[in-house]
Amino acid sequence: MAASGVAAPTRTEVLQLYRSLLRVARQFCDYNIREYTKRRTIDAFRDNKNLTDPSQLSAAFSDGKAQLEIAKRQALVYSLYAPKVKSIMDIKPS
Amino acid sequence: MASFTLFNPTPLSTSFKHTQVPLIGISNVKSGSFASLTMYRRSSQFCISCAAKAETVDKVCEIVRKQLALSDESSVSGDSKFSALGADSLDTVEIVMGLEEEFGISVEEESAQSISTVQDAADLIQKLKEDNNGAAYLE
Repeated sequence: MAASGVAAPTRTEVLQLYRSLLRVARQFCDYNIREYTKRRTIDAFRDNKNLTDPSQLSAAFSDGKAQLEIAKRQALVYSLYAPKVKSIMDIKPS
Repeated sequence: MASFTLFNPTPLSTSFKHTQVPLIGISNVKSGSFASLTMYRRSSQFCISCAAKAETVDKVCEIVRKQLALSDESSVSGDSKFSALGADSLDTVEIVMGLEEEFGISVEEESAQSISTVQDAADLIQKLKEDNNGAAYLE
């Protein structure tokens, strides 16, 4: 399966993917999953910041897009079964 | 530029944007910045475009400082560019996300791409907050 035919993502596309992943992270009701998603996207994008090889770039980009789909689906599923009791970290100190 | 305000005898009301203010090129005047004769707000010097309030600019500076982990000595002001402060494009996206959460607004893609200084961000926040308020007022 030759990946050389796939064009590397542009800078704008990468930033849009980053923004979408961070936005979807905000939709999770569970504090832990929300923080994990944010942390994981930030770490992953920073690790791959210096990639230059087009096949590596497109592999990382499609990986990110797949994760975005999963996250969107899971955010929806989790919201259907959201617990009534909020995590202690979400409760603002009064 | 600031001397124009001295010729305006009528006090600016807080809620109306289109008052009889003879200031050229200003579409959006908030009462706090211009009604007073003492120039205590530094954001009033940037009065070519819509002026953002000083508290907004300060909050933006605070978020930028926290995101980029800047020390307290480094100066972050209205016209500091993000790239000059050491932010790359990923940092800029994170800063815009932080601003969205802090101010409860939603920034679209194109607007987010055009933000390059602290003042840009504060003006955009100002505009979005007013659009939200305007829409709520009309309902």
